[in-house]
Order: sequence, then C-alpha cells, then structure tokens
Amino acid sequence: MSTPTPKPVTSGATIPLDVGHAPTAGAPIRQSNLWKDAWYRYRRNRAALFAGAVFIGMVAFCLIYPVISPHDPYDVNFADARQGPSLEHPLGTDTFGRDVLTRTALGGRISIGIGFAATFIILVIGVTYGSISGFIGGHLDNGMMRFLDALYGLPYLPFAIITLAIIGDAGFWAMAVALSIATWFTTARIVRGQIITLKENDYVRAAKTLGARWQRVLMRHLIPNTLGILIIAVFLELPGVILGEAFLSFIGLGIGPPDASWGSMAQEGYEVYRVFPLLIIVPSVAIATLILCANFIADGLRDALDPRTRET
Amino acid sequence: MAETILTVRDLSTHFFTREGVVHAVDGVSFEVEKGKTLGIVGESGCGKTVTALSIMGLIPKPPAKIVEGEILFRGRDIANLSERELEDVRGEQIAMIFQDPMTSLNPTLTIETQIVETIRRHSELSKEAARKRALELLEEVHIPNAAKRLEDYPHRLSGGMRQRVMIAIAISCEPELLIADEPTTALDVTVQAQVLDLLDELRETHGTAMILITHDMGVVAEASDDVVVMYAGQVVEQAAVTEIFDNPEHPYTEALLGALPQLEGEGVRQRRLTAIPGRPPDLVDPPQTCRFAPRCKYAGGDSCTSRMPELREIRPGHFVRSEHPASERARTGEAIHA
Amino acid sequence: MTGFVIRRLLWTIPVILLVIFFTFVLMRQIEGNPFRTSERAVPESIQRNLERRFGLDQPWYVQYAKYVQGVFTFDLGPSLVLRNRDVNEIVRTHFPPSLQLGAFAMIFALVFGIPLGMLSALRANTFLDYSAMFVSNVGFAIPSFLISTLLIYFFALKWGDWTGLPTSGWDSWQSKILPTIALGLGPMAYFARLVRGTMLETLQQDYIRTARAKGLRWRRVVIVHTLRNSLIPVVTAAGPILGFLITGSFIVEQIFAIPGIGTYYVDAVEARDYSVVMGLTVLLSVIVILANMVVDILYGYLDPRTRDARS
Repeated sequence: MSTPTPKPVTSGATIPLDVGHAPTAGAPIRQSNLWKDAWYRYRRNRAALFAGAVFIGMVAFCLIYPVISPHDPYDVNFADARQGPSLEHPLGTDTFGRDVLTRTALGGRISIGIGFAATFIILVIGVTYGSISGFIGGHLDNGMMRFLDALYGLPYLPFAIITLAIIGDAGFWAMAVALSIATWFTTARIVRGQIITLKENDYVRAAKTLGARWQRVLMRHLIPNTLGILIIAVFLELPGVILGEAFLSFIGLGIGPPDASWGSMAQEGYEVYRVFPLLIIVPSVAIATLILCANFIADGLRDALDPRTRET
Repeated sequence: MAETILTVRDLSTHFFTREGVVHAVDGVSFEVEKGKTLGIVGESGCGKTVTALSIMGLIPKPPAKIVEGEILFRGRDIANLSERELEDVRGEQIAMIFQDPMTSLNPTLTIETQIVETIRRHSELSKEAARKRALELLEEVHIPNAAKRLEDYPHRLSGGMRQRVMIAIAISCEPELLIADEPTTALDVTVQAQVLDLLDELRETHGTAMILITHDMGVVAEASDDVVVMYAGQVVEQAAVTEIFDNPEHPYTEALLGALPQLEGEGVRQRRLTAIPGRPPDLVDPPQTCRFAPRCKYAGGDSCTSRMPELREIRPGHFVRSEHPASERARTGEAIHA
Repeated sequence: MTGFVIRRLLWTIPVILLVIFFTFVLMRQIEGNPFRTSERAVPESIQRNLERRFGLDQPWYVQYAKYVQGVFTFDLGPSLVLRNRDVNEIVRTHFPPSLQLGAFAMIFALVFGIPLGMLSALRANTFLDYSAMFVSNVGFAIPSFLISTLLIYFFALKWGDWTGLPTSGWDSWQSKILPTIALGLGPMAYFARLVRGTMLETLQQDYIRTARAKGLRWRRVVIVHTLRNSLIPVVTAAGPILGFLITGSFIVEQIFAIPGIGTYYVDAVEARDYSVVMGLTVLLSVIVILANMVVDILYGYLDPRTRDARS
C-alpha cells in the first residue's frame, strides 16, 4: 500500500521507503560468489574447520606413513609381540609383533578407501535414480518412489553379506559394492527432492519462459545447486559405510589377513582384549574419529551451503 | 475522562551481540489511554516491534535486555517482573497479535485447543464452559460455521480467518490492552480492511485500549487516535492523528506522507511519489547525533551533526525530535540543503 | 484416520512380495549349492534326490511361488543343511533373544535420549549442553564392538565383583544390562542430538511466541507445544533405527554370546543354506517394513497435515 509503482532500479539513486529485503530475492547466486561465500561461512564454524583439518590429516597420514615408516607392516616377529607404546612403536605392537601405527595407517587406506568407493557408488546410483525420478516427474516419479519405499525394507547388513557371498571374494571393490547396495535410497531421495525444488523454483521457470534452452537451465542452475547437496551427501553416507566395513571385517567376512582394515584389526584385537585392550582400542578410535569428523564436516557444509540462510 | 493505562518511560532495549551492542530501542516514551488506539509507525528495523515485545517481556533474554526505563501498566512497573509474574499479565491483562497468521498458530493443535487453553489458563472455567466461550468468541469475530471451525486445524483456514482466530484468542480474557503488530501486513488488501474494522468494533464493544504497529500510514490514518513515529530506535514525532496528517513536523514524517499515493487533490496526476534516498543507520553503537540527518533534506549546519536533538513539545500535545521541524522552517524560510 | 491406517497396511503387502523376490533372486545368484559344498562329496543320485526332496529341481518361478505361499502361511521351509531342523523352529528358538535385545535397546535409547536432548535444548549453549552433546557424538561414533568390549572389560571384569554383571549370556536380568547399553548407546546419542536440534528449531517458531504471549505457563509451552512437534522427527527416525537394531545386532550378539539369529545368519550364508538365509532375511525385512508402517501411522497421528495430504 505504501510502496510506489516499481521503476527500474538504477543502483544508488532513489530507494523506496520500505527497504526490507534486497532486490531479486530468491535468485540463485552467480557461481563465483556461491563457492567463495560458502567457504567463508564454513570457515566461521570452528568445529567444522577443526574436523576438516583432522580428516584431511588422517587421510594424509594413512597415505604417507606406510611409505616413510621404519617398520614393515607385514613383518612378523613374535619376540616383539604385544608391546605397549614406546618410542620405537608409538602405538605398540600387535600379536604378531607388527608395528601398530604403521598397520593403522595401512588399514586406514583400505577402510577410508572402501568408504569413499562405496560412497561413490552410492552417489552414482542415487543421483541417477533421483534425477530421473525428479526431472521427469509425474507417474514415473510416483512409481519410482513407491519402489524406493519398498527397497527401504531391505535390511542393510544382511544384504551386504548376501552380496558379498554372490561376488565371491571379499576384495576392495566387492566390499564397496556390497556396502552400497542397500543404502543408496536416502541419497536418491535427497537428489530427487533437490531437483524438484529447483524445477519449481520461480527463477528457473522464468528462465524457461524466456526461452532458455533446458541445457542452459541445467548447467547454470540445477547442477551448481545440486553439487552442494551431493558434497554433503558424501559426508553423510561415509560414516555408515565405514562402520559397515568395520562390522563385516569384524565378523570375518571382509578384508582378510595379511591385509588390514580397521575392522579386521579390531577383530584381531578382540581376541586378546582381556589382556591387551590396546589392540582393539586403536582401530576403533580411528574409526570413531573419522566418523565424528565426517559428521561435523557434514554439519558445517550444510550450514555453509544452505540457501535459506544465505544472505543476498 | 482520559485515563492512562500504559506509560512507557525512557525505555531502552539493547541486544548484546558478538558484533556489538545493538540499540534497538533507545529512550522511547509514550502513553496509551484507556479505550484509545495508539499507532506506532516506522519502517522495518526502527524498533517498533522490539518495543512491543519489551512491553510483553517477550524479547529473547540472552542477547536482549531492557537496560533502562519503566513500563507502567496500571501504575505497576512490569519491566522487571519475573517470568512467572509476566505469565500472569500476558494474555489476561495485555494481549498481543502478530504479523503472520500462517505461522502464528500451532499446526498440530486444533483451533479449539488453542483458544480453550488460553481461557482455562486465566480463569476457572470448566472445559465445556470454555468451549462454549470459544464458540462465542469465534462468532464475535465473524467466523462463519464456527462450530465446525473449532475442530479444524489451522492449515484448513485461510489467512484472514486465521488472523481472526488470533484476535479471538487475544480478546478471550478481556485484556485491557491489545497490541497488534502489523496485523494486516500479510493479508490481502480486501481482508485488511475487514480486520481493521473488526479490531475497531471490538475496541468499541470491550473498551480495550490498543497499540497498532504498522509501517503503513494509510492504516494509521484509518485506525489510530494518536500516533508515534519511530525512526532508528527513537521516537521522532508524536501527536494526535489529525495533527500528524494536517501538520507533520519532522522531515521523516513528511516523507512518509509524501510516499502515500493520493487519489485527489490538485496536481495529483503530475505528482511523483517521493522516496527517501539512503538507508537507516546501523544501530550498533549508533552516533549521538540526529540519526535521520544523513537522509534529511534539511540537514546542515552544526546543530544536526553535533548533538542529539531533544524531543520537544512544539505545540500542545505535539512532540518532535528535530532541529528543523516544518513550522520553524516555514518561519525562517529555510532553504533546502543539498 | 482409520482409512489411513488400512491403506498403509495394504501397502505393505506388495512391498513384502517385492522383498521376497529380491532375496530370492539374490540367493539364487550365489554360486554353489548346499549339497555340493559340504565336505563329504555327495554322490550324484543322492544329490538329485535331495534336490527333488527340497524342490530345488523345479523351475525358479515355481519355487518362488511356493515360497511366497509358504511365507504367507508362516511356513519357511526346512533348513537345507542342518538335518531335521526347519527354519521355523530355528526362528522360534533364536529369534526371541534378538528381538528382546533390540526392543530393550530401543527403549533404553528413547528413555535416555529424549530427555537428554530436551535438557540440552532448554539449556542451549551452556556447559550442560556442550557436555551432553559431546558424549552423544562420541557414543554415536564409536563402533559397537568397542563399546561392548569396554563395557565388559570394566563392568564385568575389572569391577565385576561389585556390579555382579556377567560377561556373557542372556538369561538373568543382569546379563541383559550390558548388551542393551552396548547396542542402545548409538541410537540414544542419535535421538538426543535429533531432539535437541528439533526442539531448538521449534522454539524459534512463531507459534511458540504466540503461546507465550497468551500467558501460558512455560511448562505447558514446552510440553504441549514444543515437545510434541519436536518428537515428529524422532518418530520418523525410530523406524529405521529399530530396523538397524534388529539387523545390526550381530556383533553385540557375538561378543556377549547371545544365542540370537546373528550367528546363524552368517553361518547360513557361508553354507549356502538357502532356506535359512531367505527365511531370516524375509523375517528381518518384514519387521523393518512393519516398523516403518507403524512409524508412518504414528506420524500421521502426530502431524495432522500429512493425513490430508496423503488422501
């Protein structure tokens, strides 16, 4: 009632009285601003920043340490078995006399590696399924979502076990596939939700009515906004997958000797936990730390990338 | 006889944030008389809502704090009451309705529950009696098919109806003062008029005093008896509504009126709608000089930029906080500064 | 409301059929055959007899149809590997402990998690909040095998004389405490975080401000207005969590030597004992599906908006 008839706003000149919100609210931010903006916001969350640093630190450690370590992780030496932490072996030795620190790093490569591999597969399946469902919409979408509801009924671990059995061996990619098969549903849902929201975004609709080709719409609007969601999804799925791998290896279905994953190390540690608990504590703490970091990172990313709280 | 029901004196509410202390409300004073409506008008961020929330004690206590001032309701200072005591005042003696009816009602409770719980909180009525009263209230606010509506959930009602329900809840315990914070802003134009009429009708019937907060001078003209104009956390002009519209003094008030579309009067076709350049000042540790000066057409000379203008009575009952009020300008023929 | 419930119930049937189908297909993909993989080489003719006896020589769709029929008449067939035992019986003896464990863990998680979350939300950003959330995060991230072993190490071994808690088994009520905690700690932490988050968010809502403006007592505002709305995501999460509890209890069962279905499952897969694997998987799936259905219904009750949307 009190705002004047809109005239094209030339920056600076006359600004109407009730300046409550910036102009063009709701328009997606130009790409360069999006990432810089998000990074700035992420940095402000100290917990997320710390978690990110720790996470990167752990990954780097697992990649580098086995190369520079003075100990051979496969070197069996019963004389040195089950020693506590010392200068030579910062985390002690295991039942076979192998240096725990080095084996942890090595195990980390496998556990984290499988984690990322499985997450990657989850993303591929989830994005495909979700995009098709969301983009096409209508009955197909309905049907696909109902189907997804049905799939939710598949129990995670049992199906992972069955899948492993089908594939036969329990190598790296076998585990990755087994761990992703029964858990990609949430990602598919998220992606579909995002696609639908973006499809119905007024700005996108306006662009389409102005005649923008759908490829352009896809590139400039849908993809940048979805990428954010995907990155978050990675860190949301990672903990579950890593735990899954740990569980499978723990019950003996996963990675076997002489290779190590944190899960199999935990299993070895379990056998002697009554007398030497360190061996089960180390890999478990490693797993827990990684999971905690992933959680904090996911939270931080979500706050940083959430369009609702973005200031224009 | 004019009986003052609420006296706000030198109220200052500040928000203590990491970026500094935000002076949301700074030294605001006004009075509300029984049965009359006070309009508080100003743009977004001027402090009008925080003032209302301070009266109700609903400001978020960790960052916000009433650092100074008194809020005298029926002679009793409610600014420093405990939460429990405030709970007794709210709803029963002072009630408030809010801007957005879509989000102001709990979506998971029925209309009946939300009205009845208020009634039973402040009275000894039984459930059946309270329910009957709820029905009467809905009819009083002109909601058709009231009995059915009681069982509905808020999402089944339109915006206008929800606002009526909010009003019904607010008057359910016969408060002496009703604070309405932008009650019509979120509604369609036609519904706005109805809601304002309803508020007026209720005021007449129950003799309730009202504070009507808005950014819309048109609403002010229609519904208030007295007006307080706020800017950047301060009162900049205060008078009866006819005075304000006939003889606005503060440059800001003039600008607000100039921004109103006019339907009649000479030169109405040629008249451009004026707008005020610039933005309100940042309220974190604001300057102790005239806060409107950066946007004021008449600002200039030492007086505006070296000290804070006092709120002075330029005519009986008409207060203004400016070094260059209209009547003085006319007298000295002041030129417009750049 | 009843219409909603019935519709939801009916939907579970095609879902269950689909699950059976999947399990069936997957099982058939596994290389090997229960009779050929046993240590003693079984002569051809006997093998064929066995196959015929267990119906394995029929075309797959016949087997599938028969199986579905079996599921709906609660006959899960005989075990292919263990002599003279049928799946039903295995389920009957070994499922109850798993179910109990899962249920207790869930109750533990809810009873301790929800109040913890509430308290954190109401005292947000205080020391109490930070410590509660820290404990939650840790409890959630540490794998259950570590929690189990630590619990046993301290409470049953080191301080075992005081606490009187055994290190394994599932008979006396004392024996049930540690496993429940071990399994329930993760979900408890999850619920606490969830409740805290939703309560904080709900407390920001306009309708809470309205409730306070009406002069309602703070206790009522918290319990009737805030908590109810905050519990909705908890209910949604409870379904999958229940599923997780029952299907993911393998490890806790192993460590505490609880005679549940976890151990059977792994062995059965290795031995290619189709019927056991299928039976257990289908059973677990049905439970998860039913749990989700209950969750959906509860959700419809708690949030009236969905009832209209669904119809």
